Amino acid sequence: MVKISVLQHDLSSHTATRPGDPTPVSRNLNPLVHPFSRARERTRALNAAKMDRMFAKPFVGALEGHVDAVEVLAKQGDSISTVASGSWDGGIIVHNLSQRIQMAQLPQGHKGKVTGLSLVGDSRLLSCGVDCNVKLWKIGSDEPVNVFPGKYAFNSIDHQRSSSIFATASTLVQIWDETKSAPISNLTFPTSTETISSVRFNLSESSILASVGSDRTFTLYDIRTGKAERRVVMQMRANALSWSPTFPTNILLASEDHNLYTFDIRRLDAPSLIYKGHVAAVMSCDWSPTGTEFVSGGWDRTVRIWQTGQGHSPEVYHTKRMQRVTSTLFTTDARFVLSGSDDGNVRIWKGKASERLGIVTARERAAVEYRSSLVDRWKMDKEVGKVVRTRHLPKPVYTANKLKNTMLESKRVKEERRRKHTRAGESKPKPERKKVVLVEQT
Amino acid sequence: MARSGRTSSNNQSRPTFKNQSFSKRKSSAATAVSGYAKRHERKAAKSAGRFEDVYEYAPEKVRRSKIALDFDRDEEMGAGPLGNGGEDDMEDLRMKARLIGENEEDEKIDSEDDEELDSDAAFDDDDDERFAGFFTKKVLKKKASKQVSVTFADVDLNEEEDAEPKESERDNGDTDNEDGEESGEDDEFINVLDILDGRGEPLNDEDNDTPLASFQENSVSAQGGDEEMEDSANEDDEEDDKELDDEDEAEEDDRISISLSEAEDEADGALDDLQTFISSLDPTSSGSRKRKADGEEPEHSRKRRVIKERTEAGVESEFRTQSAGLSLNDLLLPLGQSSLEKSVKVLQSQSGGNATSAGKKKKPQTLSVPLPQRTQERLDREAAYEQTKEEVDKWSATMKRISEADHLSFPLQAQPQGKVSNLELAAKFKPSTALETTISSLLSSANLATDASVLDTEENILKTNAISVEDVAERRRELRQMRELMFRAEIKAKRVKKIKSKVYRRLKRKEKEAVDRNDDGSEEELTEERRLKVEMERARERATLKHKNTGKWAKKMMSRGGYGEGVDDDDIRGGREEIEEMLSRGEKLRRKIQGKGSDDDDSQSENEDDGEDDSGAGVESAFNELRALSKTDADPLESEGKKGKSVFEMKFMKDAMARKQADTSRIVDDFVKEMGGDEGHFSDGEVGSTQDDPDSGVIVSRTGGRMVLQPTAKGSEHPTRTFSVASEETSSSTLKSTDFPTPTPPSPLISISEKHSSRPALSQPFFSNTTLSTSASVNPWLVPSSSSGAGKSGPKKKNEIVVDKDSSQTTKSKHKLKKQNKKTEEEKARVKDDAVVEIELENVLAAPNVSKGQEEAPTTSAVTASKNKSKRKGKAQISDEDSVSNDSEVEEQEKMLRMKGKKAKATKAFEQRELVARAFAGDNVVKEFEEAKRREIAMDAPTEVDTTLPGWGSWGGNGVRKGAPKPHLIKKIAGIDPKSRADYNKAHVIISEKRDKKASKYLVPDLPYPYTSKAQFDRRMQQPLGPEWNTRVGFQRGTLPKVVKKMGTVIDPLDKLS
Repeated sequence: MVKISVLQHDLSSHTATRPGDPTPVSRNLNPLVHPFSRARERTRALNAAKMDRMFAKPFVGALEGHVDAVEVLAKQGDSISTVASGSWDGGIIVHNLSQRIQMAQLPQGHKGKVTGLSLVGDSRLLSCGVDCNVKLWKIGSDEPVNVFPGKYAFNSIDHQRSSSIFATASTLVQIWDETKSAPISNLTFPTSTETISSVRFNLSESSILASVGSDRTFTLYDIRTGKAERRVVMQMRANALSWSPTFPTNILLASEDHNLYTFDIRRLDAPSLIYKGHVAAVMSCDWSPTGTEFVSGGWDRTVRIWQTGQGHSPEVYHTKRMQRVTSTLFTTDARFVLSGSDDGNVRIWKGKASERLGIVTARERAAVEYRSSLVDRWKMDKEVGKVVRTRHLPKPVYTANKLKNTMLESKRVKEERRRKHTRAGESKPKPERKKVVLVEQT
Repeated sequence: MARSGRTSSNNQSRPTFKNQSFSKRKSSAATAVSGYAKRHERKAAKSAGRFEDVYEYAPEKVRRSKIALDFDRDEEMGAGPLGNGGEDDMEDLRMKARLIGENEEDEKIDSEDDEELDSDAAFDDDDDERFAGFFTKKVLKKKASKQVSVTFADVDLNEEEDAEPKESERDNGDTDNEDGEESGEDDEFINVLDILDGRGEPLNDEDNDTPLASFQENSVSAQGGDEEMEDSANEDDEEDDKELDDEDEAEEDDRISISLSEAEDEADGALDDLQTFISSLDPTSSGSRKRKADGEEPEHSRKRRVIKERTEAGVESEFRTQSAGLSLNDLLLPLGQSSLEKSVKVLQSQSGGNATSAGKKKKPQTLSVPLPQRTQERLDREAAYEQTKEEVDKWSATMKRISEADHLSFPLQAQPQGKVSNLELAAKFKPSTALETTISSLLSSANLATDASVLDTEENILKTNAISVEDVAERRRELRQMRELMFRAEIKAKRVKKIKSKVYRRLKRKEKEAVDRNDDGSEEELTEERRLKVEMERARERATLKHKNTGKWAKKMMSRGGYGEGVDDDDIRGGREEIEEMLSRGEKLRRKIQGKGSDDDDSQSENEDDGEDDSGAGVESAFNELRALSKTDADPLESEGKKGKSVFEMKFMKDAMARKQADTSRIVDDFVKEMGGDEGHFSDGEVGSTQDDPDSGVIVSRTGGRMVLQPTAKGSEHPTRTFSVASEETSSSTLKSTDFPTPTPPSPLISISEKHSSRPALSQPFFSNTTLSTSASVNPWLVPSSSSGAGKSGPKKKNEIVVDKDSSQTTKSKHKLKKQNKKTEEEKARVKDDAVVEIELENVLAAPNVSKGQEEAPTTSAVTASKNKSKRKGKAQISDEDSVSNDSEVEEQEKMLRMKGKKAKATKAFEQRELVARAFAGDNVVKEFEEAKRREIAMDAPTEVDTTLPGWGSWGGNGVRKGAPKPHLIKKIAGIDPKSRADYNKAHVIISEKRDKKASKYLVPDLPYPYTSKAQFDRRMQQPLGPEWNTRVGFQRGTLPKVVKKMGTVIDPLDKLS
């Protein structure tokens, strides 16, 4: 019997096996038969970069309710949508972002400005103010559950993630327990006479905390050793600080000198990176929960989103009516950014300006990913890079930036000339990173 | 418990203190770490019961204040008389402290009391920096003498040091001085004490053999002069002498412990000790006396006197009156809350640890002076920082992993999902659906719901399933029988299988077939199935196109037809018909394949084997026609050439004619080629190319075709072409079938010819037989080889003669005969050769390809054509004919050549070099290259174009001098400076400086950031990303973003996984 060989087409090889599956396509992948692939990809990359700009509509919405400037924002650790904001008039509002409703409104939470907020657990809120009180609220009730009186006006408060301990910053850092009315520990660097402006617990190593003070200092504490362990004095004071959620040794400082600094607490003699971009003091900063980016709000009325490790050209958000940004926040799902500003509004922005909200199909997502990876690959190209880099800035910011650049340039030139006219090798140029820290005190 | 913990830590921590004192503070960070860690640990251990770490800070403060108060008084006492310089006061004070400690020891203070006091709290307090130096010194001396020296290193008492380093330095200097003084005192004091002790009971002399001693000496010397040095040295010596007999020079700690243990052991003797001490404390005691005796009154002795005032009080107090019934309790009472108590405790516990030396009562040592508050704190901070660093450094591996990851998927740490065990699930299970409920009810009804019930039921079943012995035996028997039968059958099968006899097999098969048939016949109800089966087989048969009656189906049908059993007549008939039909169809198909009409006779099909002749008959006739035509075509040309002037004689007409001729000949050639086969006969040139003896079966083929390097005229090219192709084809055809008619003569060689050789003949005319070889000598490079071959051996040698291996004996003999014939012919030729004038072939440039005129072609072709017609004729006859014709041809050629030779004047001999030069005449390559380069450079060079319009911007008219062109009217076109060109100073290359604008888009000025090498970058850019150039998976992988977030999930910060 002869075997009959028939030309056979297996149906499964060229049809989708299931309704949703993509149709199998067979292509010749030999690069020689695609001589124009590079040109085509470049064009696509350029288009992708332009589309990215075209679709960049970062503003999502504003949360109103405060009469005065928003001073502080706080997010809840285990919820995406709950955010609290405190104002200069002492009012506290707990917002629900997804529903755009106010879960709690405390118009007179404190006398004078609310300086610190921290959402604890699922429905408690700690607040501190210049009225020398720390108040523990239950969300939904108008009266505080507990009041912790202090001697000095509090500037900041932060609660440990997984225990009942919290820290406040006034002239010194105090450690409190929710169940005790007096501070359980005072932490201060011995010779310190400064006002601590902000204090934050490390997110992974909960016993470590850091503070920044008015004496241009950044201090590291450990409540296990009960010591202020090290203090760094810098050129200019820092306004805010934030611990990296994925890199427990990294801390971010928002400095008065328009820059942001990341420090590795293991080596405090110099910052690990400088983030330059703001044209006025940076008032607040917050890491994205992914640790790959962070947001900062500045006195220059802009909110900027930075990529970790890239010290320049951040994403810039601004609106006409947004005033000095006093507080910024990344939501816990790393998709949105919140900013509280002097105009009394809390604004919601997208973390990625051109991201589409709503349901995205698999095809669309694939296309978006393709575009972004194309842009990423071709950003070294002149045209593509230009489109990627260019951001429209409000005129004041633009002019301020120009002025700043001019000043920096002239400074540099002057320094260069000075060096030129001194004896050779006498004055060496100092790296920018080394200029930041004046002294590291032990 | 707490006590033992503390002791151990004390033991370890003290040496570190000491070390710190000797090393620089900055560098001591590391040691401080360990020291700190231990102390911290101790603290933790101590406070574990009551406080958390966090709280540690507050209680300390309270205690500190208490201590401060205690020692404020002391300090006041000490500080007041310091300036006065009472010599013995200090000693006394110290003594008192020590004594108190001793007494405490003896009294055995409660451990509870002890616990409340923290030595560290006592000595590490913040607030008493002011009196830190004093206080610490005093206290620590009471604690243990080995710590005495600590303060003298470079103690920094200044609190403000961090802020104002200069000031602090100054302060340091001051304090150093003070310390130095004090140290001197201490030194003295201790020495004295030692001496005293040594005299009373040779004990507690740590200072003499420890590094402290030397340090003290240094400090003393730094402060005072050589005297002190000597003094101390002397003292040391003395002490050594005293102690040598009692004790080895062991480590301090050991000593302390030894002494303490002894003290504890011999608590009863404590009072005696005390008395001796008291006696030694007497200002007029031996130590001082001795020194006086020595005649040395050092400066610090005065200072000792300063403190003396204070100690006098001590002296006046209890100790004096102790003999008068003062108990140790009395002494201890005021010290109950002080930190001294604790230090005493420490000493006690140490003593409890090891008791070795015998018979000696060791006094507890004074503790070393703790560091100043500020310094201590700084060290602590440093140590704490180190610890924190260590702690966070545990994350470094994780951080590295995260930072190096190509893709991060958040949340990074998956939520720890509680593992649910099967038992848990089973326990929690409650039937929810109808099916589950029914099943569970069934189970419960069957008593199988729970494990226990299942067990029960199983047991019950087992019980009920009990079988009797008989049954079991029966069953076993059955089984055994079965097994036996099976075994036998197996054996039999094996035996049968081994039989190799074919006959047996055949019989077997037939038997089986018979059985099968019977089965077929018997099972009539299964006919339908069988029919189907039969149909299937038939389909297969048809599909194979084996239309023979050898197939399975056909055989079956045949057999069935023969037997006709169990099948209806229709079937049989149908089967037969079908077989017939099948066979006829097979026949038809075969015919079709062989290219015949279905109605052809069988007789024709007989001739199929030699069908080539028959099928080629029509073609043959066509060829004949063509030949005739070509003949007629050739003739008019000749005849016209001879005629007088007419329209056709005019040149353009001639040209046109020639062209037409060429076209037609080409068409003819094409046709011939297309038809293949015997165009060899048709074309004139290659008649002799293949010699084939149809009878003999010996193939004689000429290989090594002719090289015609000279370009030939248009018309003559075709014959060449046809020749080459035809020769190949003829040879192949002859190989295929020996019948192929090639009755060409073997001897003559007719080379390719030009119809009208356009070139003048430069050489002597050749003998016609050698034309082929000499024609190759047209090429000057080939002259030598061809000359040698052509002149002597002649063309015949070139032609290979192939005798097939398979050719038979007869053919071989025939071949021999033929060879002989050829030989005779060759001799003839040689004779003719001799007649011809010898030519120096080296001097000859080229030979014109005048082997044969066009006009000869028809004749030869005619001959060959005639030969084609008369197949298989005698060979001898053919050869004769050929020789005749050849002779005539040769003569003709000679004639023509001679005529041409006259025309071309005399032959010129050329040198080889000249030839080359001539060949490449006008090839100034280098020059041209240089010129081209110059042009290129000039084109790229920057130029200035004067765009002045005459008459514009200047005066015109006669007599106006032309001024220099105005600079703004000179247009400068930027170019490339010749010197900056890449090919500058490179004579042999032109490197274009033109930029490709389109390609420049894909060039980058620098290597972009993440890439580390050009190759890496190139490689990355080479591989496109898109779906068109990648597989689906590759595309997805290539475009996967770095950070992938899960929509709507909270991303928690990194946490320690418990």
